[in-house]
Amino acid sequence: MLLHLVKKDFLLSKRYMKVMLIASFAIPIFMTFKVDFLSGGFFPFFLSTLYIQYLLFNSVSMLEYKYKGSALLCATPYTRKALVKSKYLFILAIFVCCYIVYTITALLIAGKIEMLSISESGLSLLILSIIFGAIIPVQYYFGYEKSKYIFMFFIFITPFVFPFIIKVVQANNISFQMMLPFPKIVQDLFPFLLALVIGLISMTVSIRIYSKKNL
Amino acid sequence: MNKILEVKGLKKDLGTFSLQDVSFSLLEGCITGFIGLNGAGKTTTIKTILGLVLKDSGSIEFFGKDMNLNERELKNHIGIVFDEGYFYEELTLAEMKSIIAPAYSNWEESVFHKYMEHFRLPLNQKISTLSKGMRMKYAIALALSHHADILIMDEPTSGLDPLVRSELMEILLDFMGNGGKGVFFSSHITSDLEKVADVLILIDKGRIILSEEKDVLLDTHGLVKGEKMALNDQTRELFLTLRETNYGFEGLTNSKHAVRQQMNNVLIEKPTIEDIMLGYVRR
Repeated sequence: MLLHLVKKDFLLSKRYMKVMLIASFAIPIFMTFKVDFLSGGFFPFFLSTLYIQYLLFNSVSMLEYKYKGSALLCATPYTRKALVKSKYLFILAIFVCCYIVYTITALLIAGKIEMLSISESGLSLLILSIIFGAIIPVQYYFGYEKSKYIFMFFIFITPFVFPFIIKVVQANNISFQMMLPFPKIVQDLFPFLLALVIGLISMTVSIRIYSKKNL
Repeated sequence: MNKILEVKGLKKDLGTFSLQDVSFSLLEGCITGFIGLNGAGKTTTIKTILGLVLKDSGSIEFFGKDMNLNERELKNHIGIVFDEGYFYEELTLAEMKSIIAPAYSNWEESVFHKYMEHFRLPLNQKISTLSKGMRMKYAIALALSHHADILIMDEPTSGLDPLVRSELMEILLDFMGNGGKGVFFSSHITSDLEKVADVLILIDKGRIILSEEKDVLLDTHGLVKGEKMALNDQTRELFLTLRETNYGFEGLTNSKHAVRQQMNNVLIEKPTIEDIMLGYVRR
């Protein structure tokens, strides 16, 4: 049942799918050739995935808002809970697709584009789960129209706040490796676990918000 | 006859509009017309019954089971047709069906294809290119392909031409012919209900004004015309609405037999459902 709702989101975003597939190949290649990233494949993969996930998520939300299809779906045996869960699965599915495309790209252009390590993929998933863990409940709470302005505000202030955060992180020499006294494999897998926990908390919040909405 | 749907004391406050103590029931084997003017509360009532609008209080039971506790199971038995469709118009008919169909445990693909062929709807056509009538037929095909026991339709005939409306009435009668079924059909176009409805429920300003068998309503109500001299304080009480001119009067009564007994030289005509609806709403 959930998979059919995820399929629905992919069908709704099919118009952008080809462009996004090309983007998932092209963006990491372009970024790697233009900028010499010290952090390996993390930044090209993370930024291209964020871009693709946000655009696809937003295009689906816009169509949901336009056609109010969720009202029809909730009148069928699909539950509101299933609709919310499928939204998170959709975001995760895009992440997996982007990861596969990036890995194929790295294999094809070996030497130029670096493969992602477990910790890099984990960190990407963690940061993306924090971002979408906030975006999805906010959109369920305020609706598509209002949340669009909230997200625009945050995108606008990001260039001003981001350097400040980087500065604080660098000044205090913060890193996951230093913070956790565990073996490397545990440290590598920890971001995945944390991303899962954040995703589940966000999902629970979204389910609660959506269960009180009039459709 | 068994009760298919029973709504008791349904309340919902939406700020500018509220449903106030809405109670009614639908019987098996009956087409129930849910009538009222635009904004009377028909769509809000239907959406509240289906759990799309959350109720403040009251109970909703389908086949004797609480909707809140058995939502998924009960929705398997309900076919829905909304006026606005709520379809993703970017999708084709086949794609939209591929989303809806897996929701129902008793979906039958052959039944769906039979309806699509009968309505001459091409599966690869985009929903946005369908006419209002074709969209309604597609909604009906989706609503009837999982062996629903109750069909809930919100303003299905609104904006349709007479031919499609007539076809829709035939589909409803065909659906009822299977036995053990029920239809709940909201409309402000009462002429459609005149042909097929067994029971009528009138809602106005969020309140149920009346709930009665159509034939009983048409039998007990009358449009009375006569000279002014026939009116006095006692006979005026027999009318729901009364319009007086210098020469005579015209009014709607719900006590046709009392009018016959107490008023001489008056003409009593059979009212339409619209006359009755407007009579109660204007009261």
